[in-house]
Amino acid sequence: MSLPQESLALTVERFDQPTARKFSSLCFAVSLLGLAVSAFGLVTAREQFAFSWLFGFIVVFTISVGGLFWAILHTATDSEWGVLIRRQMENLASIVTILPLFFLPLLLWCAPILWKWWDMAIGVDPLLDAKSAFLNHGFFIFRFIVYFAGLGGIAFLLRKLSIQQDHDGASKHTLQMRKVAIAGLPIFGVCLTFAAVDWLMGLDYHWFSTMWGVYIFAGAAGSSMAALVLIVTALRANGYLKAVNLEHYHIMGKFLLTFTVFWAYIGYSQYMLIWYANIPEETIYFKIRNTESWNLLSTFLVFGRFFFPFPFLLFQATKKRPIILCTVAVWIIAMQVVDLYVIVLPSLHQTGLRASMYDLSSLLAIGGAAAGYFFRQLSSCNLYPSRDPRLSGSVHLSN
Amino acid sequence: MNAMSQQRKVYGLGAEFNSAADLMEAAEKIRDKGFSKWDVHTPFPVHGMDKAMGLGKSWLSSIVFVGGLTGLLTGVALTTVPSFALYPIIVHGKPYSWPTIPAFFPIIFELTVLLSALTTVGSMFLLNQLPKWYHPVFNWDRFKKVTDDGFFIVIEARDSKFSETRTKVLLQELGGSNVTLIHD
Repeated sequence: MSLPQESLALTVERFDQPTARKFSSLCFAVSLLGLAVSAFGLVTAREQFAFSWLFGFIVVFTISVGGLFWAILHTATDSEWGVLIRRQMENLASIVTILPLFFLPLLLWCAPILWKWWDMAIGVDPLLDAKSAFLNHGFFIFRFIVYFAGLGGIAFLLRKLSIQQDHDGASKHTLQMRKVAIAGLPIFGVCLTFAAVDWLMGLDYHWFSTMWGVYIFAGAAGSSMAALVLIVTALRANGYLKAVNLEHYHIMGKFLLTFTVFWAYIGYSQYMLIWYANIPEETIYFKIRNTESWNLLSTFLVFGRFFFPFPFLLFQATKKRPIILCTVAVWIIAMQVVDLYVIVLPSLHQTGLRASMYDLSSLLAIGGAAAGYFFRQLSSCNLYPSRDPRLSGSVHLSN
Repeated sequence: MNAMSQQRKVYGLGAEFNSAADLMEAAEKIRDKGFSKWDVHTPFPVHGMDKAMGLGKSWLSSIVFVGGLTGLLTGVALTTVPSFALYPIIVHGKPYSWPTIPAFFPIIFELTVLLSALTTVGSMFLLNQLPKWYHPVFNWDRFKKVTDDGFFIVIEARDSKFSETRTKVLLQELGGSNVTLIHD
């Protein structure tokens, strides 16, 4: 404690431009490869492609939207602990702005395959008729635009104001950012919830769960905190962000623990209520996902996403050891991928798991493009908000 | 100091400081001198004082872990033993076996939380030796400022490094004012 004030003078750090360009090109190359394979799938196996692409899209979407959540939360609550890390939250969130591009293939060529209600006439199914005010083409596309205008708009604004402060150091940007973030909280909540309802719950228009939005949010927030741990560690390993210390890791570990428990809490509550109430329209979701080989994957998820990381995240000593925390972070992201796989793919292969190369190619196509874009964003500004008024508090963090 | 208090056992030496920052600096020096039976008293919590005093990690979390584990195991036993073995009743057509254990999760969870919480409160009282009806520091008049604007360090006489004269000089050197001998 009470470190001398001189140690505050951090040098302004920027990610090396040529390295960023190299990494970014590599990621885009991987993305192109994935795109080529997926395009082949679009032509030859459209049904499989549709579900695989939605899976790949939703993985990248949840992780980047989770980054937006952390940026909003950090700014809205006027937090101090993560000012050093906040720029990475903003960079991660800015991926949302390019994602509508990757949703277009689904909207243009796959909508009737994914969302069965898309081509159904009024009067065929009374259950659909009752929902037709919500489930119709015009409103669906309108909502799609609103989600990305809302989420992308907040991500863009927060990052822009934050970078402006790097240039002029004006404290008014902090106040403006806080306003944007506080207004952004409800916008974020509504957009993510309804996006999850539209794209994932809509895979079976009979099915409904009032906890769906929260469930998707829990996975998104946890996995993107895991992504932040990995990004920060990778930067530190390459000689950047040396001011980030074990106290920051401790806090990030606490958030990982929080969202590991929160995910289990929400996932369990959703399962238990549906299982106990035993209403056919609701139980069909879990019936399919506990049939044949899906049952193995669902059971694995319960242990893998909660019971396995929990003891590692529970103790202070393990949270303060970056190597352990990073291993858990990689594991959590893998479990997020499994979680979304079990959500999306059983709608197609109802009788059991059938892996496809398009699952992988979609993930590579969208994930590669997102990573490439991330490297561009990373090198286009300082690695932390260098003139944020709360920076010194974050450097001298103790908790 | 009157004759009566001179006959009473010495509890320790108290010193007053001007601000939380001064107190923190003094605390760091006393920590480095190797004192162990001493405490600081402030009107509000001072962030980082635990490190300045050289306090280790509290044992509370370990005790609570044991409490939570006891709750968890109690919950598992109380639900599974009667329902699986002693008196199985089938409700909702759901037979009791391991796949239907989610029905018991709320009870297991609540018992874990309940015992963790009770252990936390109970251990807090025990570790802080509460309730405590009498404490010698209140024999010192100036100590009343501790709820207003006073920052105090009290080094106890039972500390092996304690000496009425040398510790008094030390506290004065560290910037303490009104250094006073406190009696039991």
